[in-house]
Amino acid sequence: MTLQCIDARVVAAGGRVLLGGISATLRPGRFTAILGPNGAGKSTLLSLLSAQRRPDAGQVLLDGQPLHALAPGALALRRAVMPQEGAVAFDFTVREVAELGRYPHRRQPAADESGIVAQALQATGVAGLAQRIFNTLSGGEKARVHLARTLAQVWAPLPGGAARWLLLDEPTAALDLAHQHQALRLLRERAHAQGCGVVAVLHDLNLALRYADDVLLLAQGEAISLGPAPEVLTPGRIERLWGIACTQVRGRDGAVQYLFGQASA
Amino acid sequence: MHALPPSRRAVLAAALGCATPLALRAQPAPAASATSAAAGLPRLVTVSGAITEVVYALGAEAQLAGTDTTSLYPAAALKTPKVGYLRQLSAEGVLSLRPDAVIATTEAGPPVVLDQLRSAGVKVELVPSEYTWDDVRRKVQAVGHAARREDAARALQARLDAEWAQLGREVAQAAAGRAAPRVLFVLSHGPSAQVGGQGTAGDALIRFAGGVNALTGFTGYRPMTAEALASSAPDFILTTEQGIDALGGPQKFWQRPELALTPAYQRRALIALDALLLMGFGPRLPQAVRALHASLYP
Amino acid sequence: MSASSGPARPGAGQTAGAEGMAAPPPPPRSGRLLAPRGALALGLALVALAFVAGGASGAYPIAPAQLLGALAHAVSGTPPDTPQQLVFLNIRLPRLLLAAAAGAGLALAGALMQGLFRNPLADPGLVGISSGAALAAGLTIVLGPAWFPALPHALGSWTLMLTAFAGGLAVTGFIYRFAQGPAGTHVALMLLAGVAVNALAGAGLGYLNFMATDEQLRNIQFWLLGSLGGARWSAVALVTAVVALCCAAALAWARPLNAIALGEAQAALLGVHVERTKRAAVLITALAVGAITATTGIIGFVGLVAPHWVRLLTGPDHRVVLPCSALLGAALVLAADAVARTVVQPAELPLGVLTAAIGGPMFLWMLRHFRGRV
Repeated sequence: MTLQCIDARVVAAGGRVLLGGISATLRPGRFTAILGPNGAGKSTLLSLLSAQRRPDAGQVLLDGQPLHALAPGALALRRAVMPQEGAVAFDFTVREVAELGRYPHRRQPAADESGIVAQALQATGVAGLAQRIFNTLSGGEKARVHLARTLAQVWAPLPGGAARWLLLDEPTAALDLAHQHQALRLLRERAHAQGCGVVAVLHDLNLALRYADDVLLLAQGEAISLGPAPEVLTPGRIERLWGIACTQVRGRDGAVQYLFGQASA
Repeated sequence: MHALPPSRRAVLAAALGCATPLALRAQPAPAASATSAAAGLPRLVTVSGAITEVVYALGAEAQLAGTDTTSLYPAAALKTPKVGYLRQLSAEGVLSLRPDAVIATTEAGPPVVLDQLRSAGVKVELVPSEYTWDDVRRKVQAVGHAARREDAARALQARLDAEWAQLGREVAQAAAGRAAPRVLFVLSHGPSAQVGGQGTAGDALIRFAGGVNALTGFTGYRPMTAEALASSAPDFILTTEQGIDALGGPQKFWQRPELALTPAYQRRALIALDALLLMGFGPRLPQAVRALHASLYP
Repeated sequence: MSASSGPARPGAGQTAGAEGMAAPPPPPRSGRLLAPRGALALGLALVALAFVAGGASGAYPIAPAQLLGALAHAVSGTPPDTPQQLVFLNIRLPRLLLAAAAGAGLALAGALMQGLFRNPLADPGLVGISSGAALAAGLTIVLGPAWFPALPHALGSWTLMLTAFAGGLAVTGFIYRFAQGPAGTHVALMLLAGVAVNALAGAGLGYLNFMATDEQLRNIQFWLLGSLGGARWSAVALVTAVVALCCAAALAWARPLNAIALGEAQAALLGVHVERTKRAAVLITALAVGAITATTGIIGFVGLVAPHWVRLLTGPDHRVVLPCSALLGAALVLAADAVARTVVQPAELPLGVLTAAIGGPMFLWMLRHFRGRV
């Protein structure tokens, strides 16, 4: 059970190559972070993996089947996507927004639909905001509601046992320090305890080191490396790609983190 | 968004909406019901100003249950209950006046409403307009028949026919041996003006009065443009009083650039008649022709 | 994640509080004034009330006993036996039905358009239906007699209805096609094209006004102002059937429209058939509003205002907003027509005047009263 890119290429309308021949195999039960400098093609890759975009060359396969061959409704049961920005028209409440995540299940609802939504809201800590109008929330609260919606979409295991996938585009961008850690902890728990495949575009290298199992490193539309986080994120690579000097340190809990210094010459 | 910008539509609509109740000032007609109920004569609703005039000319106003908003003459007609504009009648409104007959010109509508009146047992009599003396005859006959005053109608008709014949002789006499004055018939609604060709009320009136329409070669109305007037060279211009008032007076009318080169402009020869008198083709038609004739042949 | 209660100030939940799971949330206090069932019940009650009020009012006095008698005859199929019953069955009842159908269809279309464009200011006229119908009607009135003298062109005839309906559909179809791109229907383009086409239609109508004779001008203007008095029973039955079908069909698209509030991309990721939803919304709007406008002329404001009021009371869930908008729209037009028929009796006010005159100020009042919720 895998989510794969095989030599996927994406070319923009003007001819600029956004992704050049990326090949990567992602497995469920693991938290994979997609990292890279700006313009590396991270969001483009995520949109390929979510079937929002079709590759101009190459393939994207889910469990061996081409993504675009799956009906949108069937695909929505297996993978959930959290967008970078989530404006919501009209004054839906937080609860209603989270409930929209259950749309793919409308034909075969679970036994306790409202319970699932409540649990998802609780997991991201916005249960107390359930009756608030979504558009009155702060950016961080909105992000957590979208996260709850995404979780709710693939909350329960699928009959037939196919893996569920969570694809997130910068899920921590609007969150404050504490909530960043809590969200990523939650996602890791989803991967390890629930067996979901979690793929998230992140900017913060330290967060990726702490919470992600694997890192897929991109630069200028090319895949530099895919592997366990500490192996991929070496100081040398970081300095080369981001142009920042870094020093490795170990936190009190033993986790490897980096201290970043001046831009290297 | 609708066809006209909402603001303009709203203003137009509000204006119409406000003007209508001011014009209508509906009053019940107790006197009419008492009299006609006693006399057993049919109750009438007349739609179109000229037809209402016939009712008053016959002395049958006691039978008049209601009129439309174009019925403006005589002054008493303004006080009758108003059933709306002749093209937008209200079925229930008409029926609430309990008429036995509705007499209208063929312009009355909507057609559904006329059908609904018929199905409710009201006789609906439609009189076509051809802008001839026969129009008047038809109206008098229709009203006389519906009001069951055929004798009075015949008397009125005879009187009108005599008046018409006399007028015809006078016009023929005055016009003998002289070139017929060229007259342009102008109808203005707001900034745009139209000129009338053949088959219009004004055209007929001009002929009756011994003039000739300055514009030939088309029927109906056309926008008034310099090209349209280029070869017309009217000596007089005939229009409605209401049109001139709406513009703000004859001086404003003469400011129209299209008229600048016409002979009428040089003499400021403008003849303005009341709209209903001019175009109604009712019992006052001889009066209208006489007024026009007097201006054309001073 | 730290728990946060529901404070009034936004952003207050962002405090970095203690870690750990919160206690189970309190049972949800409904943030809406009306629950779905209550809203539907209220809507039905309003329609019933407006129907009865409309049925009892009119220039022609009809005693309540006669009303009941007329209905009894209608149900049993026997012909009516008093003039009052006849007037009710032939004149007032079709008008009531047309009012309800027109109000329901216009409000439903308004709700659909607002959901499609994700904008509470959307109006069924945005996709050109009203202006297309108006232009076609104007063309028929002014040019019809000249080009097709054999065709009867009087107001209220089938000719005018059919051309208006066809005109509305044609313009909407054009705008819809114009907005097609490689990625499907571009909603923003539809909006802009609609603005341009509406302006064009307005120019066309303006020119027709300029060319028209006095009589034709009056006909056009009365058509534009909207009236329920010019429709035959057969037309009323047809419009009612079309609107009923449209209401039923629209309900199937309520949940997809909810998801589209997240944005078209997100809705697609949730499995919504976005393109089909757009097509359905435009088609249902075109059919309903086209049929209504062809029969009644232009009745404004209902499509804009009714869904707004519903949303203020029940929230934006389209499963509630669509049916309740239809009900509220029906009640509004029934009430407005009752006023139009009686306030200057025995004449009538054009309906479009009333819907704008009443709808506008009431809308402002509600916006002010519920400012915080909008």
